[in-house]
Amino acid sequence: MIAPQPHAPSAVQQAALRSFEAQWLERQSASKRLDRSPAGDPLSALREEAMARFLRLGLPTTRDESWRYTNLRRLSAQSFIDAPKESVAAAGSWDLGERLATVHMVNGFAMPPTFARLNSNDILINNLRDLSRIDPDLVARLLPPLSDAEGARFALLNTALFTDGLYIKVCGKLAAPLVILHTATAQDPGAIAYPRVIVDAAPGSKATIIEHHVQRGEWTPLCNSVTQLALGQDAEIEHYRIFATGSGCTHIDSLDVRQQRASRCRQFTIALGGVLVRASLDAHLNEPGACLESFSLLVGHEERHVDCVNVVTHRAANTRSRQTARAIASGASRVIVNSKVVVEAGAVQAESQQSCRGLLLSDSAEIDSRPQLEIHADEVKCAHGATTGRLDPEMLFYMLSRGLDRGTAQSLLVYAFLADVLTGMSLSAARASIEDSLIAQLPDSQLLRRFR
Amino acid sequence: MLLKISGLSARVAGKEILKGINLEVKAGEVHAIMGPNGSGKSTLAQVLAGREDYEVTGGSVTFEGRDLLALPAEERARAGLFLGFQYPVEIPGVNNVYLLKAALNAKRKAAGEPEVDAYEFLALIKQKMKLMQMSETFLTRGVNEGFSGGEKKRNEVLQMLVLEPKLAILDETDSGLDIDALKVVSMGVNSLRDPKRAVVLVTHYQRLLDYIVPDQVHVLSAGRILKSGDRSLALELERRGYDWVVESQVA
Repeated sequence: MIAPQPHAPSAVQQAALRSFEAQWLERQSASKRLDRSPAGDPLSALREEAMARFLRLGLPTTRDESWRYTNLRRLSAQSFIDAPKESVAAAGSWDLGERLATVHMVNGFAMPPTFARLNSNDILINNLRDLSRIDPDLVARLLPPLSDAEGARFALLNTALFTDGLYIKVCGKLAAPLVILHTATAQDPGAIAYPRVIVDAAPGSKATIIEHHVQRGEWTPLCNSVTQLALGQDAEIEHYRIFATGSGCTHIDSLDVRQQRASRCRQFTIALGGVLVRASLDAHLNEPGACLESFSLLVGHEERHVDCVNVVTHRAANTRSRQTARAIASGASRVIVNSKVVVEAGAVQAESQQSCRGLLLSDSAEIDSRPQLEIHADEVKCAHGATTGRLDPEMLFYMLSRGLDRGTAQSLLVYAFLADVLTGMSLSAARASIEDSLIAQLPDSQLLRRFR
Repeated sequence: MLLKISGLSARVAGKEILKGINLEVKAGEVHAIMGPNGSGKSTLAQVLAGREDYEVTGGSVTFEGRDLLALPAEERARAGLFLGFQYPVEIPGVNNVYLLKAALNAKRKAAGEPEVDAYEFLALIKQKMKLMQMSETFLTRGVNEGFSGGEKKRNEVLQMLVLEPKLAILDETDSGLDIDALKVVSMGVNSLRDPKRAVVLVTHYQRLLDYIVPDQVHVLSAGRILKSGDRSLALELERRGYDWVVESQVA
C-alpha cells in the first residue's frame, strides 16, 4: 500500500485555499498602494513564509493524527472572504465582576477608543494594526516560530492574514481582570475572521485575562483566532477563554503558551457555544520551575462538536503541569479530549498529571478521550487517567434511597462532576456567570440552579 | 403491621438469591437478621429499599398496608423507609449536608409540610452530629468523601436520625467499627426506638445485639429464613455457629 502523501492539499480543499490566497493577494496589493515596501520588513517576510507554508500544506484532514475526529471537508470546500470590520454595539457580556477594563474586539479588529486611558505603569495595550506599522520588528519578534505541525495549521494561516489584534504588555501586578470581549458578526455566511491576541507578561508581573467570545446577529464568520501568552520569569497569568457564541458559529482557536523560569500559568478553556469548537493549547515549559495548570470544561449540547487538543511540552528541569478536563455530552453532540504531555530529554524531575473524565447524558452523544505521554527524560513523575461513562448508578440509587427525586439526583451528580474545574476558578463572579450559562445547557437546569 | 413480607423471591444478575422470605415487623419492634455470607441478607435490604436492578420474581411486601414493591425507591424513602448501606457510596462534589437537607425536604414535601428553615436545620443537624460524636468538618465535605469506614457508618446513622424513618433497615452498620464507635452507633439507633418505629438490623455478629437488644432474631440462609427466635437465639448462634441451624433444618 502506498502511504498517502502527507500535507498535500486535496482537490476538495481548493475552494477554501484559493479564497485564502485571494485574501493574501489583496493584502499585498493594499500595502503596495500604501507604498509600504515589504523589503527589509521582518514581519512581512514572516507572513509571506507563513502563507507559503500554509498553501503548501493545506488544511488538516482526518488523516492527520490530531484531527482524526474533526472532519473539515465541508469547511474546506467553501470560499471565504474577510469578515467585515464594523463597529457594532457590544453583544451583551456576562457579569464577570470587577474588572480593570473591557476591551472590545469585533471580528478580530480592536475597537476604539484607543487604549491610552488604560495604559499605566502596570499595563500597556496597543492594537496590532498600528504596532505592525510602527514597530514591525517587535511584532515579528513576538510571534512564535512557524510550525508545520498539523495542530498549528490554522495558526499559520492566522499569522499570514491577521490584520489587527491586541498587544498587551503586562508590566506590574494587575489588581483586577482584563476582559477581552470578542464579538463575531457577519452579514451572511462565508466570512472568516483572524483575531490575534499577544500577551507579554514581564518578569514578576501578574494578571488575569478573560477572553469571552460572543456573537451578534444571525451570522458569524468562521473564527480562526490565535492567542499567545508569553510569561517572563516569575510571572503569573490566569487566562480564560470562554466560547459562548450561538449554535451556528465555527471556532478554531489556537493558544500558544511559553513560560520562563518559575512562571505560573492557570488556564481555563470553557466550551459552551458554537457548532464546532476546536480549541488547542500548545504550552512550552521552557525554563526550570515553570508551572502550568490547565482546566477544560467542555460541554457538548445538541449538535455541537467540541475538539480540545492540549500539548504540554516540558523542556526544562523541575517543570510541572496539571491538566484537568471534564467533558459532558448530551443530545447528538460529540466531545473530543486529546491531551498530550511531552517530557524532553533534560527535563529531569518534571511532574505532570492528566485527568480526563467524560460524562455521557444521552445515547447518541459521544466522548473520545485520549491522554498521551511521551517521555524522553529520567526521574520524572507523570500520571494520567481517563474515564468516560454515564451517571454512576450506585450514587444515583443512594440519593434516591434518601428520598430525592430522580431529576434532582441526576442534576446533583452532573453538577458534582464539574466541581473539579469550577472550584479551580479563583474569580467568583466569572465562575457564577460560567455556571449560569453552563447550567442552562444541562438537563434539569431549573433544579441545578438551586444547588448554587 | 408496619412491614409484612410474604413469600418474597428475587433475582440478582439472573441468579435466584431470595427464595420465599416471610417476615412481619410491628411498630415498636427491633428485629435482627443474621446469617452467613451470601445468604441474601444484603439483597433483602436492597430489594426493600427499591434497587431497580434486583428483580423481584415473586411474593409481596406491604408497608403500612401499601404495596411497597409498586413504589420507586424515592417514594419508599418518603413514606418512611430508610436503608443504612453496608457500603455507603462516596459522592465527591455533592455536599453531605446539602444531600441531607434535600432528603428531609423531599420527605416533608411528600407529607405536605413546608421546607425546613435553614437555621432550624443547622441546629438540628448539629445536635444530631454531637450525639454521633462527629466533627463539624463533616458539614462541609462531600457525601462520604474521604470518610473512613467508621465515619461512613456514623454518617448513615446521622442521616437516619435526621430523617426519622418509620422503618430503618441497617445493613451491617456494625461491621468495621471499633468498640467505641459501635457504642456510639448503637446509642444513635437506640435513641430512635419508640412505639411508632421499627428497626431491622442485618448483622453477622451477636456483638451488636449486646447494645441494641432485639425483640426477634431471624436466621437467613440460602435465601430463606430458617429459624426465628428471641435474643437467646443470637447467643446460641454465637456459641454453635450457623451450621448448627442449617444442619438442624436438614435433619
